Amino acid sequence: MTSTAANPPASGVMIEARGVEKWYPNGYHALRGVDLTVHQGEVVVIMGPSGSGKSTFIRTFNALEDFQKGSIVVDGMPLSNDVRNIDAIRREVGMVFQQFNLFPHLTVLQNLTLAPVLVRKRPRAEVEQQALQLLERVGIQEQAHKYPGQLSGGQQQRVAIARSLCMEPRIMLFDEPTSALDPEMVQEVLEVMQELASDGITMVVVTHEVRFARKVASRVVLMAEGQVVEVAPPEQFFSNPRHERSKQFLSQIA
Amino acid sequence: MQTWLPRLRRELFATPLDGLISLLLIGVLSALGAAFVHWMLFQAQWAVIQANSTLFALGRYPIEQQWRLWLLTALLTAATGLSWGLLRGRRWPANDRIAAGLVVALALLAPLLLALQPLIQLRWWLLTALLLLSRWAAGHWGAGLPPLLRRGWPLIWPLLYLAGLLLISGGLGLAPVPPSDWGGLLLTLLEASFAILLCFPMGVLLALGRRSHLPLLRWGSVVYIEFIRGAPLITLLFLGQNILGFLLPGGLAPDRVWRAAWVLTFFAAAYVAEAVRSGLAALPAGQLEAARALGLAMPQALIHVVLPQALRVALPATVGQFITLLQDTTLLSLIGLLDLLGTARTVMANPEFLGKNAEVYLVLAVLFWCCCAALGLGSRALEHRLNPNRSLTTTPQA
Repeated sequence: MTSTAANPPASGVMIEARGVEKWYPNGYHALRGVDLTVHQGEVVVIMGPSGSGKSTFIRTFNALEDFQKGSIVVDGMPLSNDVRNIDAIRREVGMVFQQFNLFPHLTVLQNLTLAPVLVRKRPRAEVEQQALQLLERVGIQEQAHKYPGQLSGGQQQRVAIARSLCMEPRIMLFDEPTSALDPEMVQEVLEVMQELASDGITMVVVTHEVRFARKVASRVVLMAEGQVVEVAPPEQFFSNPRHERSKQFLSQIA
Repeated sequence: MQTWLPRLRRELFATPLDGLISLLLIGVLSALGAAFVHWMLFQAQWAVIQANSTLFALGRYPIEQQWRLWLLTALLTAATGLSWGLLRGRRWPANDRIAAGLVVALALLAPLLLALQPLIQLRWWLLTALLLLSRWAAGHWGAGLPPLLRRGWPLIWPLLYLAGLLLISGGLGLAPVPPSDWGGLLLTLLEASFAILLCFPMGVLLALGRRSHLPLLRWGSVVYIEFIRGAPLITLLFLGQNILGFLLPGGLAPDRVWRAAWVLTFFAAAYVAEAVRSGLAALPAGQLEAARALGLAMPQALIHVVLPQALRVALPATVGQFITLLQDTTLLSLIGLLDLLGTARTVMANPEFLGKNAEVYLVLAVLFWCCCAALGLGSRALEHRLNPNRSLTTTPQA
């Protein structure tokens, strides 16, 4: 993963969502015709009040949530009910969760090597080498043989990021990665994410961290009531939002 | 040296009321204890146990074939000692020393209590020596074995189980001993171990089936579990004797002993399924999501992420089920099988030993207690081993 941030190839479309609608089984209309295009190397930050459907939306990208109408194409592969397609997409899309979701019965190193060995069928020794390098990159190589329960929240989330990277994904999804962290641990996770962004990996991030969005985002998306309200570059979105709903949201989080 | 006195005072006689309750309980307990010891030593007649110890152990297993059971016992003893040694290495922690001491004490005491023949007494001592020697040898040299052998060692148990079935029932050149001749503790342990070994994988599959998104599988599992749990075991045992003969392929349930073993298996599987289901329910949904998001296929996610965690949570309840199962084997005596209780009843019906019920039932209770305690100890050791200082929860709850 060498630095390609200088000239992101603007042509490659990584995620193409068109008119996505989702109803939960209880009838709740969570997504009401959402469109979004994410280009290769872009960092798209999705903001919005809770219940606006932003988490649901990015969880449709790797089929953790299904949807009833519209279409999503990820890295050229259409999301359908075809299980093989879903598995292929999941191999290329990494996800970092609010609750980390590390596997508590495995060591940090085993958490990283599990999927590459099982899914990509790569030799264990080679994957372990790579895993140790990734742990070094997120600054916790000395914890490799501990269990997740022995780490702090910030360390756990950095392990979770390294675990996703170990699959060498083309897209990384972050679902409120710092929301479950104690305030003093937020920064260490954001720094790792910022470094990732500068390496040029395509990222879609649901977060409330305005400073991160200002500094790192290519574009900011505001969602409310299951719809996209505004899409704009960060400087424009934060200083001069066009929509009333955006202004209201920004005044609430400021 | 005097610290126990103030502690006794604090715990038993802190207030006048505490003191009164303590005195009352001490009085009642010592009266009961004295009566029991007096009965044990002066009134009970242990000849009924001494004269029938082989019957209690093996039932009517033919005498000239009993060497096969001694051989099996020796194999099991050696395997136990070797596993024990591989687990612990050269260290002999306090628990191990206590266990070894108990085994030696039992070996020295039991022949006296049971008035065993000298030859059997000698074998008992040899078995004890074998256990401790293999424990020591595996602890001493185990670390030097190739890792493949060390990791594959637990496979010895299913192999030994099959070898045991062969030794007990005959075949491959051994004279066949029909199941109707198996009895006593041998039959009880055989039925219980067969059911325990098979009901566990069945229970796991039923629990997964109950959570499947395939409606036929889900409803099939639900109906099975709820039907079995809604019927008394004794009813199912009688039912099984009548219908298993044509429900299962021929050869699997050829006679009453095997039919009963299958009924016990099917019965326990439903309860194990519920224990495993509670383990599955305790797992945060994010675990499966994370595994799937990493690209693991469903079977991989189940084997590597979901089941290791769920089964650990379900372990205590599952072992509780195994213990219940072991005790439920006594119902076999009601369908005419000569398990430990059935054998005991034939002994008590013998005019020679009329009226010796208390002695017989006491020994039975102690035997069952020993088996159940062993299961409980094993489960706690396993739980401890599966959880070396790691926290259970993945994540702080936000």
